[in-house]
Amino acid sequence: MNKRLLSAIAIIIAFLAVAFIVTSKPNTQEKKSTYVPTVGILQLVTHPALDQIHHGIIEGLQSQGYSGKKIKIDYQNAQADQSNLKTMSQKFANENADLTIGIATPAALSLAKTADGNNPVILAGITDPAGSGLVKTTQHPGNNVTGVSGDSPLQQHLDVVQQVVPKAKTLGIIYTTSDHGGEYNAKNMEKLAKKSGYTVKMYTISTTNDMQQVAETMASQVDVVYAPQDNGVASAMKTLINVTNQEKVPVIPAVETMVKDGGVATISVSQYDMGYQAGVMAGQVLKGKSTANYPVKTITKGEMTVNLKQAKLLGINLPASMVKEAETKGEVFK
Amino acid sequence: MSMIVSSIGQGLLWAVLGVALFLTFRILNFPDMTVEGSFPLGASTAVTMIAHGIDPFIATIAAFLVGTVAGLITGLLYTKGKIPVLLSGILVMTATLSINLRIMGSANISLLNQKSIFSIKILQHLPKYFDSVFLGLFIIAIITAGLIFFLQTELGQAFIATGDNPNMAQSIGIQTDRMTIMGLMLSNGLIAFGGAVIAQSNGYADINMGIGIIVIALASIIIGEVVFGELTLNERLVAVIIGSILYRLVLLAVLRLGFSTNDINLISAIVLAVAMILPQLRHALNLDKIIKKGITPHD
Repeated sequence: MNKRLLSAIAIIIAFLAVAFIVTSKPNTQEKKSTYVPTVGILQLVTHPALDQIHHGIIEGLQSQGYSGKKIKIDYQNAQADQSNLKTMSQKFANENADLTIGIATPAALSLAKTADGNNPVILAGITDPAGSGLVKTTQHPGNNVTGVSGDSPLQQHLDVVQQVVPKAKTLGIIYTTSDHGGEYNAKNMEKLAKKSGYTVKMYTISTTNDMQQVAETMASQVDVVYAPQDNGVASAMKTLINVTNQEKVPVIPAVETMVKDGGVATISVSQYDMGYQAGVMAGQVLKGKSTANYPVKTITKGEMTVNLKQAKLLGINLPASMVKEAETKGEVFK
Repeated sequence: MSMIVSSIGQGLLWAVLGVALFLTFRILNFPDMTVEGSFPLGASTAVTMIAHGIDPFIATIAAFLVGTVAGLITGLLYTKGKIPVLLSGILVMTATLSINLRIMGSANISLLNQKSIFSIKILQHLPKYFDSVFLGLFIIAIITAGLIFFLQTELGQAFIATGDNPNMAQSIGIQTDRMTIMGLMLSNGLIAFGGAVIAQSNGYADINMGIGIIVIALASIIIGEVVFGELTLNERLVAVIIGSILYRLVLLAVLRLGFSTNDINLISAIVLAVAMILPQLRHALNLDKIIKKGITPHD
């Protein structure tokens, strides 16, 4: 047999044998008195919303006194390649990270799996933590995982729909099939809207490339469109708006960046706030608070954002109270 | 040290993909894109079954069977439908996205607090990360031994002949279409099996987990070939496994050197490109002869 191949195998086996013996021994490392906690932050992909969460986390930790030399933060971004998540989670475990923070569901799942019930894991920006199996219930997580959920304020969004287009009867909802959060929000909105008496029509895209055609079909069939918090739809927002503008159909999105891209108005939860709260929770847990009874925080308080240019284009007169609210607290795009 | 153990464990698990792709990429000589679909197909099948309370071993075997169906469809499109192989694979890969969504019912299913093939008792008593090493070694050893045995049989030889020269193979009475379909079924079955194992190691199945899989599988084949040079067919299969481990170690080194993780795709592409160029370079510079002269004693 090839000598190089044999020696490679021999080296690997020898290494494993040594590692097996070494790591079998109990770990006797002691914590020093000037102990600096290590926190691992794992993000799924670079994306404006997720980056804001990351930014918020850092400042949330700072607010708890964890900044500069008082904390060691290891930030990893898998850039959507899920095979990296495992390696990165294990890197944290190997650094003996005291706590890990996951941004987006696959990242959080990977961390939770690696922690295996031991070290605390804080969630940031996970839409449905109980449905994803990360926590038992949001009130009593029951294990080593808790955090902040980014549940969309759907009822408030429906109120915005009613205020912007009071005469609308048919509501179209568009989401990406491969986005767990988008699907979850879309289906919940469907229930809410049906209760309020709307005829609801659901539309899905599997990639942003499908947007043009699906939007064309949708725009001819509905009075108003709801676009949930969904990465796919957010990316293809411009395409959606091009189509709906031709049919004069208003779009009510879930996030303020989507209003900027041509949505009419929304009440949006700040991603930064979500990250900030996660950072605060992480700080509390580092100080000794137990995760098992630390309820998952759901941020629902949002701020009004309106796009006046878009409203004018569609011939919509936005209620004065709404514009005023956006001017004082939220954001107005002109 | 335990990071290296973890990388070896991951390398052994991912080696299933390398060995499976070897059947189509190297023996049949064509790039099969189906794998980017059959990998998450296996993962979603197994994870969904486990989440419904079915035994993880049965679920993993079921993933293999579902994967062979994906391979069968690509094979039929290619041989009977006369669609170019690259396109057949892409068609099936695209279709599986919808199928996977149907199977899972959502984009992501977690396995936290569920049994998996990693929950066997013996594995629980091992030091950190040795569960993947042992289970990975066990799985890849069985698969490789099985393939080595298969390739020595009459059927296996006919399969190899089909890849080497389809015209000649046909002239001596080998039904090349059947051989191609069989190869695609076997390869995609193994890929789906690998998907099932890796999903259980990761703790979840995700609709997007197939993206970039073909690069990982190719990396283990190419690194194995470049590092170990001329090998017999059986040795090449073993080299793929070592190649898979080496690829994980390279990734680990890149992470350790403090490179931004934003660059990791670029870096792995460069590693692969260099690995693929190296043989030409060595040939062009005549290094082969020089090295041989240097290490062989005068006769």
